[in-house]
Amino acid sequence: MKCHPQEDSPSDKQTRPAAICLVGMPNSGKTTLMNALTGGHFSTANYPGVTVSLLHGRSKPEFGSSREIVDLPGVHSVVSPSAEEALACAVIRGENTRVTPAAFVLVVDATQLERHLKFAGLVAQQGKPIVIALTMMDLLTRTRQQVSPEALSRALGAPVVPVDPRTGKGVRQLIETLDRSVALDPATSPLASLPEDPIAAFARVRDLLRESGVVTRSREIDPVTARIDRIVLDRYWGFPIFLLILIILFGSIFWAAQPFMDVIDSGFSWLGETVSANLGDSVPAQFLAEGVIGGMGAVAVFFPQILILFFLMTLLEDSGYLARGAALVDRPLAFLGLHGRSFVPMLSGFACAIPAVLAARAIPSRRERFLTIWILPLMSCSARLPVYALLLAALLPGAPLKAGLALAGIYISSLLVGSLVAGLAVRIFSKYRDPSLLAMELPAFRVPRWKPILRMTWARGSSYIKRAGVPIMLVAAVIWIITHFGYTPATLVASAETENSFAAQLGHRMEPALRPMGADWRVGVGLISAFAAREVFVSSLAIMLHAPDPEEDQNQQATLLEAMRKARFPGTDQPIFTTASMLGLVVFFFFSLQCFSTVAVVMKETNSWKLAAAQLVFYTGLGYGLAVASVQGLRALGVA
Amino acid sequence: MQFENENRFHIESDRKRRLTQAPLDAWVRIERLDGPMDDCRRLADLGFTPGEEISVIHTAPFGDPLVVRVRGAQLALRKREASWIWIE
Repeated sequence: MKCHPQEDSPSDKQTRPAAICLVGMPNSGKTTLMNALTGGHFSTANYPGVTVSLLHGRSKPEFGSSREIVDLPGVHSVVSPSAEEALACAVIRGENTRVTPAAFVLVVDATQLERHLKFAGLVAQQGKPIVIALTMMDLLTRTRQQVSPEALSRALGAPVVPVDPRTGKGVRQLIETLDRSVALDPATSPLASLPEDPIAAFARVRDLLRESGVVTRSREIDPVTARIDRIVLDRYWGFPIFLLILIILFGSIFWAAQPFMDVIDSGFSWLGETVSANLGDSVPAQFLAEGVIGGMGAVAVFFPQILILFFLMTLLEDSGYLARGAALVDRPLAFLGLHGRSFVPMLSGFACAIPAVLAARAIPSRRERFLTIWILPLMSCSARLPVYALLLAALLPGAPLKAGLALAGIYISSLLVGSLVAGLAVRIFSKYRDPSLLAMELPAFRVPRWKPILRMTWARGSSYIKRAGVPIMLVAAVIWIITHFGYTPATLVASAETENSFAAQLGHRMEPALRPMGADWRVGVGLISAFAAREVFVSSLAIMLHAPDPEEDQNQQATLLEAMRKARFPGTDQPIFTTASMLGLVVFFFFSLQCFSTVAVVMKETNSWKLAAAQLVFYTGLGYGLAVASVQGLRALGVA
Repeated sequence: MQFENENRFHIESDRKRRLTQAPLDAWVRIERLDGPMDDCRRLADLGFTPGEEISVIHTAPFGDPLVVRVRGAQLALRKREASWIWIE
């Protein structure tokens, strides 16, 4: 545990008002309570030095005067804490300069009083007002237990308020109690004098509960959860059910999101056209229409997929299945040096690497989180889909079934290659091989509640927009500038001709490197512009090859395919898009980390440029090397 | 029964096993934790303390991880972790 008491200067304390801190073990319902207290209006704030963020928010106006509330990460144990746990403990002990706790709300699961109250010792010793929020009261009936909040309050010498954060019941009372609560006296309070030794502490908590008759203890297992677990963890049925859920999840991400994506896409095109129609052909107007609005469109077009992904993930999490899924796949993932929970980010990576990198926060150990982030760029994100669709249509003309199978092959391979990379990495850097502790709680199964799920989905989705939006738009704007401006000896000009742009000059410079993979400078420009977002490759290729605007009965892809068939290396009649070169492009897109937004988000999430830079160099280098190897190999075998 | 050296005699019940050998759905008492320092201290903080009764209620399809009931909670433990927990 890091101690920085010297940083805790009085001036720092004055700059940041003291906050009410929600503390407790993971799965106690803290974040749901945060949601209920703030009405879902909270923001994540990053903390320098640790790769952790806290949820900050203000209480809803209906709960009286507005208060600053902070949701601290759940703490299992203060022994060899994860980054999240270390931060939470530092805040609780008053060692953090950014957050000064004014009072604590200790969130306690009523079905697991012993485990959750043991942690209370640390909180009660801080000399700050403390209120215990008792959650999961509705689950007690399943095991025919009863917990009396009044008796618990008497036994612990601290106010206890039963709350149901999912419905908001008891939340107002919690705030009112908080106003009246005072710090516990370590001399008299049993909670503040809990011993540190776990055996003694657990024994003391159990005695307290038994003597005061707080709880009718029962060892009966929650029959609802046990029945569902018997099915979803079954030797034979466990994996088929897991696969079915994954298929439904994928299906929704791709098919259910499509209409919304189309609407957003055409909405932004319309907006861009309207702007350029009204503002004329001036450079700033074009920049606004294509660079800025186009960039916003690039962010917005993935929003439906990301909302659906977050919605289904939150639904699975809230119902309790997500932890079962993680437990099911833990064994194969642990073999690869990953954690059971790595499956959530890996899955999200098939929609977009950015929410996936954010989702990796759920992995407790730093090493496993970094390894998961390391392989995420390999997951075949949906921005690659238009590129693969174009290349496969060109490779396998008139055979949509074969193209579909090839696409499925690409998706499965991305998972396999990701596993291979993780497995090799963890064995090469074998000093990191010692796996962390799983010890993951499987929460009781519950019927999901829509309101908190929707709130959470929105909070996570808008955090994506905030995180990824700015880098994507900036990159899109820069790419627009380098593809539309050029340098001639006389002046810096906005060139109508893409052939003279900076991007084209860069493409020409790169041509010696592009030739081995069977591409010319125009494909190079496409590859550069794909750094804004991979699917931009398609539209920029259309511009570079002068694909005509589609006529009434044609679609865009058909005209582009025609232009690709006609494309020749300059000054020769040698076709550019051959079987070999197109396969090379598929290989390149498969491996290459062609997405500055991912690089930016990885930098933010790992709080260092090293991992992000290493990923960029490694994957792009690997993609290039393998693309060259496959093009040259195919040519050597006689495939043009 | 075993002799550790000439002056030391060590005998223990052959009923002592690791948690990985515990029968399904039976309550067993933890005798001790024996494994890596930090990991075992964390397990103790999670509720696995000597003397406490726990029960393995499910196993995942590969037999790993185990789902263990402890102090009202269900925790998934890898076999590796469960093998540090000795039971009576």
